Amino acid sequence: MKILIIEDEKALQESIVKYLEHQGFICEAVSDFVKGKEKVIQFVYDCIVVDIGLPKGSGLDIVKELKYMESKAGIIIISAKNALEDKLNGLDLGADDYLAKPFYLSELTARINAITRRRNFDGNKVTTFSEIKLEAEARRVTVNDKPVDLTDKEYRLLEYFIANQRRLLTKGAIAEHVWGDEYLHASNFDFIYTHIKNLRKKLIDAGSGDYIKTVYRAGYRFTDT
Amino acid sequence: MKLLTKTTVYFLIAMVPLLVAAGFYLFNQFSREINYRSDKELISDEIQWIQYLESEANDGITFILKTPDLSFFPTDDAITEYPTLTNIDGYSKKDHAKIPYRQLAQVVSISGNPYQLIIRQSQEQKAALVTDVTRIMLFVFAGLFASTLIFNWAISNRLWKPFRHSLNKIRSAELQKMEAIHFEKTNIQEFNELNASLNYMTGKMYADYVNMKEFTENAAHEMQTPVAVVLSKLELLLQDDNLKDEQVQSILQSTTALRHLSKLNEGLLLLAKIENNQYETTEAISLVEITKKYLHLFDEFIKEKELIIRTNFDDQFTIKLHPVLAGSLIANLLGNAIKYNYNGGTIEITVSKNNFHIGNTSMLDPIPADKLFTKMNSSKDKQESSNGLGLAIVKKIVDVNNLHIIYHGQNGQHSFDIRKS
Repeated sequence: MKILIIEDEKALQESIVKYLEHQGFICEAVSDFVKGKEKVIQFVYDCIVVDIGLPKGSGLDIVKELKYMESKAGIIIISAKNALEDKLNGLDLGADDYLAKPFYLSELTARINAITRRRNFDGNKVTTFSEIKLEAEARRVTVNDKPVDLTDKEYRLLEYFIANQRRLLTKGAIAEHVWGDEYLHASNFDFIYTHIKNLRKKLIDAGSGDYIKTVYRAGYRFTDT
Repeated sequence: MKLLTKTTVYFLIAMVPLLVAAGFYLFNQFSREINYRSDKELISDEIQWIQYLESEANDGITFILKTPDLSFFPTDDAITEYPTLTNIDGYSKKDHAKIPYRQLAQVVSISGNPYQLIIRQSQEQKAALVTDVTRIMLFVFAGLFASTLIFNWAISNRLWKPFRHSLNKIRSAELQKMEAIHFEKTNIQEFNELNASLNYMTGKMYADYVNMKEFTENAAHEMQTPVAVVLSKLELLLQDDNLKDEQVQSILQSTTALRHLSKLNEGLLLLAKIENNQYETTEAISLVEITKKYLHLFDEFIKEKELIIRTNFDDQFTIKLHPVLAGSLIANLLGNAIKYNYNGGTIEITVSKNNFHIGNTSMLDPIPADKLFTKMNSSKDKQESSNGLGLAIVKKIVDVNNLHIIYHGQNGQHSFDIRKS
């Protein structure tokens, strides 16, 4: 899976690349509008992560260019401006998603996963992790081909865990992904414990391995090692 | 006291001595005029009497006549060349009241014999003169008083109109809308100077305000990028398997603090944008729907705290409000009602056509009125997850959209009422 990151803030760019590469993506990164445009014209990517405020131009113009080229790449806009107009503009132009800075790298990964899965380049809409299979379109989960009945939140949790497999995920990041950032009103995220406990039990009962590991006082890790 | 009333009073006070002096002068003038006329009459009388006496005296008769008005009798005094005219007091024949007389006295020679001749003329009208003059002066004063009142009223209405116009403008001036305020030129120099100064002042205030606002907005924007960098580095750092628990905790605490900072920024930005009227809308929205949505969203918290929710959605509280603001309004109010509640407490939401009521139980003391809607008011009970902007945002949304918000806090019950104005 090839990802292009167009972000002028070098340090942030590096963080994104490092995290995504660790999750198995092939990444390329550029820092300005002109180079970004060159890249999207010359090469084909599965997903493009683009900042709006770029030197020498606006990320929105790259979105326009991609749409003009009838590119099939997924597009995620990242912006420091959590402005509604930017968001609506971007989505109107054909971007698939919008993330306001600051965002969790794990959240970006989950969004990229969701978009590339939806766009379905290789005809494969299924995400697998060992014996667990997620069918994105049907929102169906099977363990060893046996269906597991999950609630909406449990499904979102599992999707997020698999996208960020082997990573330490903080309760805050998990809460924001599943419940949205309105939840930052919360003073603690203990409520996610119940949902994770239920998900874990359902998966184990269906015959999967125990992949959800609690990291003491920090969060959770979804891993088979 | 009004400026005009004050000047009127001063004017009238100044008029009193002036009128007294004028009265005195008038009295003297009149008095002299009366004397002059009397004198002329008296002298012509004297001439006639002398002629008469001369014609009769040829026979060698000696005349003696003594009446209050006229007397002549022989005398040994030397003959005087000119008659002496004096004012004397006498008594009226009718009612014995004291009245002034003008008297002519001369020793004349009638056929070589010296005679004392005294002619008097009553000046009764003089007694009335003082009363007349006083009356006239009082009348003038009353006239002046009435006319100044009328003039003042007219002046105040016309002359001071531009002043009051400017005053009303200042009174209704709002910082956000100061750009639109302009104080027009008038045909009075003083007011022009005032208005020019006011124009300069409002212009400067508005420019400062815009600068300040832009600064807030830019600062908030610019801050998000470095925060994003640090957060991403912390997230990567967290993935290191060799970290000790202590180090993990430090990273998590830093993350929480930075997230908090970022949210604070967002809140400030939201406030700036609301002030900037960036959330104008023509579409009406129902607060009941928004409330239902957030009750659902906050379900986890409500369950966790075992809160009892009592809703009474009798009517739809519909209002023209941008969905972002409506969401923010309800999220803040409901969020607070949950956050500052105790386990097993209640939240009550009653919605009618013109009133949105949300109340909750709480262990906290009522919020003092002066601190209620202030930004980042650091209270002792402040919770970690609070950024202190929630109620300031609520207030701003309410103000900008012509709503009222009323807070009640007593006996462990806190409530907010939003009303249409």
